[in-house]
Amino acid sequence: MTAAPWTTVARREIVTKLTDRTFLLSTFGLVVIIAGVLGVQAWLGSRTTEYAVVTSSAAAHRMAEKVETVAEASGDNLQVTLQAAAGDGVAKAAIEDGTADVWLREDGDGWVLTGREDVAAELRSAATTAIRDATLDANAEAAGTTVDALTRGSEVRTSVLDGDADRAGVAKAVGFALAMLFYLASFTFGLALANSVVEEKASRIVEIITTKIAVRQLLAGKVAGNLVLAFAQMALFVAVGLVGLTFTDYDRFLPAISGAVGWFVVFFVVGFGLLACLWAVAGALATRTEDVQTTSTPLTMLTLGVFFAALLTTGTTKVVLSFVPPFSAILMPMRVLEGTASWWHALVALAILVGAAALVVRAAARLYQRSLLQTQGRLTVRQAWSTPE
Amino acid sequence: MAQIEVIGLTRSFGELRAVDDVSFTVPGGILTGFVGGNGAGKTTTMRLIMGLLAAHGGEVRWGDEPMTTQVRRRIGYMPEERGLYPKQKVLDQLVYLGELSGMTAADAKASVLEHLDRFGLRERASERVEKLSLGNQQRVQIIAALMTTPDALILDEPFSGLDPSAVDSMADLLREHASRGIPVLFSSHQLDLVERLCDRLVVLAHGRVVATGTVEELRGRGPELYRLTLGGDAGWVRDVDGIHVHDVDGSTALVEPDDDSARQALLRAALERGDVVDFARQVPALSDIYREVTA
Repeated sequence: MTAAPWTTVARREIVTKLTDRTFLLSTFGLVVIIAGVLGVQAWLGSRTTEYAVVTSSAAAHRMAEKVETVAEASGDNLQVTLQAAAGDGVAKAAIEDGTADVWLREDGDGWVLTGREDVAAELRSAATTAIRDATLDANAEAAGTTVDALTRGSEVRTSVLDGDADRAGVAKAVGFALAMLFYLASFTFGLALANSVVEEKASRIVEIITTKIAVRQLLAGKVAGNLVLAFAQMALFVAVGLVGLTFTDYDRFLPAISGAVGWFVVFFVVGFGLLACLWAVAGALATRTEDVQTTSTPLTMLTLGVFFAALLTTGTTKVVLSFVPPFSAILMPMRVLEGTASWWHALVALAILVGAAALVVRAAARLYQRSLLQTQGRLTVRQAWSTPE
Repeated sequence: MAQIEVIGLTRSFGELRAVDDVSFTVPGGILTGFVGGNGAGKTTTMRLIMGLLAAHGGEVRWGDEPMTTQVRRRIGYMPEERGLYPKQKVLDQLVYLGELSGMTAADAKASVLEHLDRFGLRERASERVEKLSLGNQQRVQIIAALMTTPDALILDEPFSGLDPSAVDSMADLLREHASRGIPVLFSSHQLDLVERLCDRLVVLAHGRVVATGTVEELRGRGPELYRLTLGGDAGWVRDVDGIHVHDVDGSTALVEPDDDSARQALLRAALERGDVVDFARQVPALSDIYREVTA
């Protein structure tokens, strides 16, 4: 007993793609880009900048020590080293010859930071904080009170009713990335699928194949093969992305992301399958590769529409569309990620999506079957639907 | 022995009746040639037999049963417009088609290599199909149809584009398969080839079958003609009883005797009058018959 025909077809789709240099290069290129972007982030995040602060008085030296403490606690990978100079002239000379970056001194009733050309913003902000706190403490003590007493009741905190602010930001970024991936996968694989269908049609090998296996098996095999490939490619990108993320400061959001990614996977499979069937039909309606551009225009629009709906919709529109296929394929997992949809919302949307996919598969199989052996020019959907077998 | 039977097959494309009430049989064990001009309906008939098109009337039978998908899967089919993946390697492609026909990958590979050997294409096995010459692409195509040891063969123009030696090896191969007892139907517009190879002919014109039978039967359809060549003028033949004269040209006459005795009387008369250079049955060429039946 040999394998079911569609598995043979699917295997060929996969092997052909995996030995196609263009496909491998584009996949590799994207991995390099993702790794590169995250690498730069990680490098920027982990880079420690060091500033040498020179002082010429004991009071300034004590203040510089406070600046050092604040800088190192800031989390900006800022390091401050201290130099004590014998006098103002020596300190100034140290700035001029570059052995120190900044000269901190007291001037009248304030403090001055002197650099050679400029004073780095991060150092300035650390110094400002340290000096203000120290001065406030001193002034408060002089007035017989404390800073805490003075500032009591003035603290402003932020809060968001749905979830927390951090999570919303991360949900937005991850949702955008996943929508982008879905768009990329369904567009590139969809177009490739349409082209491979028309290739079979144009070379007439489809005549040989359909005398051997049922047209549905051919369609199923092609869709399944491309689904596996798209899925594997996306998993690779996501894996590279997640591994890359652990090297950056964003790794603290990983646990929040992972649960929603599971929903995304399920919706991706069904949504991609639905769109892939339509792409196959777009290929079957064409006779030559040049026709594919025309027959696939509505699909290109639809795929773009799904992508922009994911980016731009808000409020009620977003809630409604998150149940409407094929928009739900990306909008519902995004809402789960945001925490605005619960598991049963997702299940309902998934059920609707699966139902729609089943209908689309049936219609696509009919269109595919009837247009596959028509080789006189382009067909419209209406023609293909009513063409006798 | 297995046979394919086509009964009253009809198919229209819009207003055009491409195939109109076509009936014939393709018996097992012999080669059946399918002859007809461009647009006669050969390709459409073959597609109908293979189930690639649905018939608007009539049916295709496999022995005593209606033709089914299961049976069709066991038929080696070669479409008119050569279909192969241009960018896939010869071996991979043929093994894939073998697997779709239900062979295991190992069996398919063994069969493909054997056939590639036979056509002298073994060392091209790992080349892309598009790198091969058209003739070699055609050989690969034929291998696709034969590699499964099929239960029948339906081949649309298998000889077009082949050089004479390739035609011979292809013909041997087809005979070899026919000798297994399977029905073999192939179309061709090369009448001399069909005459040389075929045991049986089906002639199609304007979507209808205009003649079927063995080459001899088709020839027998016309009048029995004899050519008489004499030493002198042949004009007197016009006056012989029981002889219908088709043509007289100097010393040569083309005649149609009413019966055997009239024929013998003619020869005796000619011998009495003098020298008889030649007296022979005039067998029409298949192309003459073809022109006659499709006119």
